[in-house]
Amino acid sequence: MAEIATSPTYRRAGGLRRLLERYPFLPALAIVLVLLALNGIFSPNSLSYRSLTGLLSTYMALILLAIAQTYVVYAGDIDLSAGSILSLVNVAIIVLMERWGGGAGAVLLALAIGLLLGLACGLVNGLVVAALRLQAIVATFATSIFFTGLALYILPVAGTPAPTIFWRTYGGRLLGLPFVFYILVGLVVLLAVLSRTRLATQLLAVGDDQQAAYQTGLPVVAIRIRGYLLCGLFSALAAFCITGDTASGDPLVGGKMTLFSVAAVVLGGSALSGGWGTVVGSLLGALTIGLISSVVFFMGTPSEWQNFVQGLAILVVLMAGVLAGRRARP
Amino acid sequence: MSKLKLSGVSKAYGATLALRRGDLEVMAGEVHVLMGSNGSGKSTLCKIIAGSVRPDDGRILIDDTPVTITGPRSARAQGIGIFYQELSLAAHRTVEENVCLAALPAKARLFVDRATLKERAARYITLFEGVSGEGFSADALVGNLRPDQRQLVEIMKALASEAPLIIFDEPTSALDRAQVERFFEILRDLKRRGRGIIFISHRMDEIKAIGDRVTIIRDGETITTLNLNETDAGTVIRLMVGGAGDMPASQSSAPAAVDAKDGAALTVRNLSGSGFRSVSFEVARGEILGFGGLHGQGQSALLRAIFGAGSIGSGEILIGSDRFDAASPRDAIRRGCAYVSGDRGRDGVISGRPIIENVTPIHYLRDRLMIARPSKLRDKVAPALESMHTKFASLFHPINSLSGGNQQKVIIARWLIDRPDVLLLDDPTKGIDLSAKADLFALIRQLAADGLGIVLYSSEDAELLGNANRILVFNGGSVSRELTGPERTRYNLYQAAYEAA
Repeated sequence: MAEIATSPTYRRAGGLRRLLERYPFLPALAIVLVLLALNGIFSPNSLSYRSLTGLLSTYMALILLAIAQTYVVYAGDIDLSAGSILSLVNVAIIVLMERWGGGAGAVLLALAIGLLLGLACGLVNGLVVAALRLQAIVATFATSIFFTGLALYILPVAGTPAPTIFWRTYGGRLLGLPFVFYILVGLVVLLAVLSRTRLATQLLAVGDDQQAAYQTGLPVVAIRIRGYLLCGLFSALAAFCITGDTASGDPLVGGKMTLFSVAAVVLGGSALSGGWGTVVGSLLGALTIGLISSVVFFMGTPSEWQNFVQGLAILVVLMAGVLAGRRARP
Repeated sequence: MSKLKLSGVSKAYGATLALRRGDLEVMAGEVHVLMGSNGSGKSTLCKIIAGSVRPDDGRILIDDTPVTITGPRSARAQGIGIFYQELSLAAHRTVEENVCLAALPAKARLFVDRATLKERAARYITLFEGVSGEGFSADALVGNLRPDQRQLVEIMKALASEAPLIIFDEPTSALDRAQVERFFEILRDLKRRGRGIIFISHRMDEIKAIGDRVTIIRDGETITTLNLNETDAGTVIRLMVGGAGDMPASQSSAPAAVDAKDGAALTVRNLSGSGFRSVSFEVARGEILGFGGLHGQGQSALLRAIFGAGSIGSGEILIGSDRFDAASPRDAIRRGCAYVSGDRGRDGVISGRPIIENVTPIHYLRDRLMIARPSKLRDKVAPALESMHTKFASLFHPINSLSGGNQQKVIIARWLIDRPDVLLLDDPTKGIDLSAKADLFALIRQLAADGLGIVLYSSEDAELLGNANRILVFNGGSVSRELTGPERTRYNLYQAAYEAA
């Protein structure tokens, strides 16, 4: 019919646009590849198997935290306490492992408790934001102070070491491959499974238009709470990685990671307003942040300028990503 | 058998009584039409039934059993489905996901059962096969669809509820003729299967075509219920407006004849852009030029392009005798061009802000106003709103507290403080009740008499025939015919519109 061909604003998606619609994380992937190339130019050594493994094990915590953040951002919410949950779980498991003697059983039990703790924090956030209807940004800022307070109570000073078995495993190898690779593979499988859940679709629908979702008959409050639960769970997983990487407890370790996680989500092509995004994008976004720091370092930037250059680079990448991603958004 | 019965239902928002006393009885196997001017309480009544608004008082019976509806979920559980006038779609989800969103088919309780979802959605998508238009597919993102296609998705979603009682709150406002016909076939089928249907529309011909009984609501009160085949349009409209109206007058009387002696207000020469090509016309001062044709033939695209909100490939535009190629709406406004869209939510209303702020943005821009003084502004705002009989509690109430018709009046009032030279109307009466339409057209004629050049695109032929001096019929992005003087008949308009479509 002639009428459609002439309708301008609602034209059919072209090839690139359609590709971006299906895989919104492509710009993030391109940026990661560019950054890898830059790393290679400044320091060929940085692309070695060893360095990449190191990069992954250092930034695995941020990757997980960014993914945690993504699930609440899906629904148009935000969690400014994700980093504090990470700190809290970090010190909690460190103290528990130490108390219980640091054996394999103690470690596993402590991890299980850590997961429960993460879920509990997520539940608190969910109840405060979705059930009590407080502004997510302020409410989770408040709970972040609260969680930090708890972390400081559990371990007032940074330093208690993790049991050897724990960080050896995290930094070591299994069947000839670095352990973080197994974590990465496990994570990808987990993400694939989660993306097929009804919850993922419902979170995105709520983020798209909360009123519409409510009128459709979706249990909006319950869905948002579940988003925060997932966020708490992944923050706890992030805490395990940071514990493995630093091999010690620090009640303030996650504080500055929160906003990095939000940045990673945006770098990954998700919309902070909700309804649009991918967890794979956030994974790549977190890697981007890691690679930027590494490029800045290998470029030989004087230490007093490193923050400046890093901030600038994130801005540039954000602009590139947003410009590409904007075309994909309907 | 009575499917649904409401008695004495009421709802107040603060001091405003949205619904004073709503009574309604819907039988199984009937299409029950709800009629009333905007703000009369129809939508509130529907939302109460669908659970998204809680009534303050009154009784609801489903299948003769009293029920309490606590929310949309509970309404669904009690067998009520609804098409929302403002749509309830997730723009970034696909068509099939939207259709099944309310009850995503589950696998192992946790996962989306994609196969079942596809199959279930396909059942409703195929109902509109052939009329849903290009670009419409099960896996298209709803945000990429045209307004009429989105409306189809909302219809499919309501149908997918498979509820014994389905409410359609203005489901046809953006649909073209073929889509409406198909939709009515589906409704007739539902009727045969004993479903109860509540139907709201402002189009009399549609109501005649599909409705069995009509309940008329005025000022938040149910006036009466009539059998549609025992009544006529005149009676219904008289009941709707109460004693107060000779409103259809503006639609039946001939438009004020204006000569082009004052010169052209707007000249468009060979304009092409995305959605339209080589369009030329001239609007004289004091003239109302109508754009007709089927929905989406480039009329809106052209108007938006003139206003600087769409892209222009080639051609030229003049306002008066000056070259006018607005780079942006901001530019267009500064140079005396006004645009009013029927899509209030997207193009007009500053949602959540007070009425006064919704009337003044154009004034700010044209006067380069830096500091706003509410007391001074009020003197300018009040007469603009007055001239259209806008109903509002106070200037500082949020605009969302108004009905659709009154919101549109506020949007138009924006342009009246500093008069533009050219007024572009892009289907301005979409979803507006008859009495508001009458007010609107009275004003439009007044503006034309004051010497404005007016372009009116309307999806309702009666509005064009009743108000435009000339009508350009659009087909496939260009003007296929011009109707002037005695040629302006319903027959010619239909014929020209359907020629190539």
